[in-house]
This record gives sequence, structure tokens and C-alpha cells, in this order.
Amino acid sequence: MANETQKKSLENAIKKHERGAVIMMELPADAYFDKNITSIKILTELDFDGIYISFQRPFKNLFSLFEKQGIDINKLLFIDIATALGEHEQEKHTRCVHISPNIDIDELVRAIYTSLPKLKGKKKFIFIDSLTTITLYKPLSETMRFSEFLVRSVKKHEVENVILVFNVAKDLAQKKFIKDIALRVDEVITVVQ
Amino acid sequence: MTPDKIEKLPFEERLEKEFSKLPEGWIVLLETDTESALKVSLAAIKVLTNNGHTGIILSASRPCSNLLNLYKKSNIDVKKVFLLDCVCKSQATEAQDSENVLHLENVSALTNIAISINKTTEKLKGNRFIFIDSITTMLIHNKPDVFARFTHSILTKMRIDGLNGLLISLENETNKEVRAEIAQLCDKVIKL
Repeated sequence: MANETQKKSLENAIKKHERGAVIMMELPADAYFDKNITSIKILTELDFDGIYISFQRPFKNLFSLFEKQGIDINKLLFIDIATALGEHEQEKHTRCVHISPNIDIDELVRAIYTSLPKLKGKKKFIFIDSLTTITLYKPLSETMRFSEFLVRSVKKHEVENVILVFNVAKDLAQKKFIKDIALRVDEVITVVQ
Repeated sequence: MTPDKIEKLPFEERLEKEFSKLPEGWIVLLETDTESALKVSLAAIKVLTNNGHTGIILSASRPCSNLLNLYKKSNIDVKKVFLLDCVCKSQATEAQDSENVLHLENVSALTNIAISINKTTEKLKGNRFIFIDSITTMLIHNKPDVFARFTHSILTKMRIDGLNGLLISLENETNKEVRAEIAQLCDKVIKL
């Protein structure tokens, strides 16, 4: 039932903004990754190809769980920031974009921009798994710069027909910087457990 | 005459059921109240060691001697656990490392803790788990953002190395924002 509501909300948001949309999803912390998976399932079933930017989990874990959930991995490219931030060894895989351990926001944005044309589908999404996890490692100003840059690119149609999805845990949605970002998005979708 | 059944610990049956539903390489946040915390910890370790897991227990709350005693009384195979004790040295108690106990300086020595976890993990074979007991206690001694970053890094490494993870948190006693930062990284939150 909850997944049906999530599906309807996401579909409606995409329909309303056909040329591209910026969506913030507020998710229950206790079922966070489950809800992320649901969003990816919905988007890929709607024929979107996408870039999954993972601050939370390493590529190896995502790949395994997505496959088990029947998600078509060939529709996705992964940017594994989690492994880079922890300075662990990154997995070499055709679906995983390499990012340097001394990651800076400019490099991340470049990686997103150069990955978008590699997606085969006409409809594309950029999925940021967590807006708050990045702030554990980078200054708040960098997180804001990152989000503002992406929002501007999507809204000015510098990248055509792209859905940008920011995810945040509901309990963290009252943080000032999250509220600032929320002011700039097209839709905020609150997902229940 | 049938042999006496070894009595199950409180929460043991519930945890057996919960763990059996999880995919490989799971990380779980156990949330409970102060009164039940010890029972939950013992039950979780017993379920896992009975199912062939070997574990690293990061203890921020109790000294190793107390824990090993409790494990023996609960019929937990102590050969299947390795203790990282953050308590003894910080209390200026005599701290003797042994085959399955390593003493760390204190709960705030997060870098040292991370290194010790990595080194110990390499020594263990088969199905392995890491149990952090408890995040509530560790937050008393560490800044929230620093601890959240430490937890994220440890969980990422666990996932890369294919380890299972357990973190225990006291309900209503843990900083709400840090609790959310950690819960969102877990595969499941089990409230007991």
C-alpha cells in the first residue's frame, strides 16, 4: 500500500514536469534503503535510465541488492562515493564510475555530466541517495554548491528531460540546509513506512 | 527420558526469526530500552554464534571480564567471539590482552578502534559479524558528527568485506539526528 502511494506520488510529479523535474523525497529512516529501492524500481519501470550517486553504500552492496530485487542494472550507472570517501578500494565494474578518493564536488559534477550521455534511454534521472551523508565528510557549503549546481542545470534545461531526485531522512528534513534546498525543488514527496 | 533442553534466552526466539529473514551481508540496528539492553545483546550474540558466526564485539559499556562471564553463563561459545574492550584501560584497570581480547585506549579513540576492527576482521574466518555495543554509550564520549562519520566508514568497510553488522541503541536515549543518520544506513531496524 505504502509502495503504491510512493509510486503514484512519483509518477504524478514526473507527469507535472515533463521537461525535467527536481524532486525531494523524505523517507522514513527505519526503511530508508527499501524506499530508495522502490523509487529506482518505479523509475526504471517507467523507462528511465539513471545515475545512482551513492554516498551511503558501496557499489558491491548496491549491485547485489538491486539484482536480487529484479532491477535492470543495465539501465543504471553508479557513482560510488561511499567507497571513495572511506578511502577503500573501489570495485572495477562497467556500471561503476570511478571517482578519486580525494573527491571534490567539481569532480563529482563532472562525473555526472560525463555519465549522462552514456545512458541509452531518452528519459534520464540523477538519484542522490542521501543529502545528509555527504555532510559527514564535506563542508556544508560544498553540499549546498553541489545541490544548487544540479538544480540549476535541470531547471535551465542544460540537461534535457532529466529528473533529479534528492533523498533525505524525515528526521533530518528539518535541518536548515535541507529546508533551503527544499525551497528550490519542484516537488517534495513524503514517503511513509 | 529426554535430555533437558537448554533454555533460550529472552529475545532469542524473536531474533532468530528476524535474522533468518535477512539477506547476506546485513546490517541491523537493534533498538531497545535500558532494562532490556543486556538481554538483547546476549541473545543476539548467542543466536549468531549458535548459527556458526564468529564475531567481533566492540564494547563501550562493560569490561571484558564481565562480558566473558556473562557469555559463559548464557551458554555462548566464547571461542567464537573476539572482544575489543574500550572500558578497562580508560578506567585505569589492569588490562591484559589475550587470545580473544584486545584492550583499546578509550571509546573516543575512533581511528584506533577502526584499525583494530580491520586487523581483527582479517584474523576471523567464515561468517563474521561485528557488534557495536552501544552507539548510545559511544555518543557520550564522541561528538555526534564525528561518530556518525566513523559509523558510516565502518559500515561501508563491513559491506565491502561481506561482514554482517549489529549496532545496539537505547530508545529515547540516543541523539535523534545521529540515530536517523545511522538508521538510514542499516538494512533493518529491529525494536525489542
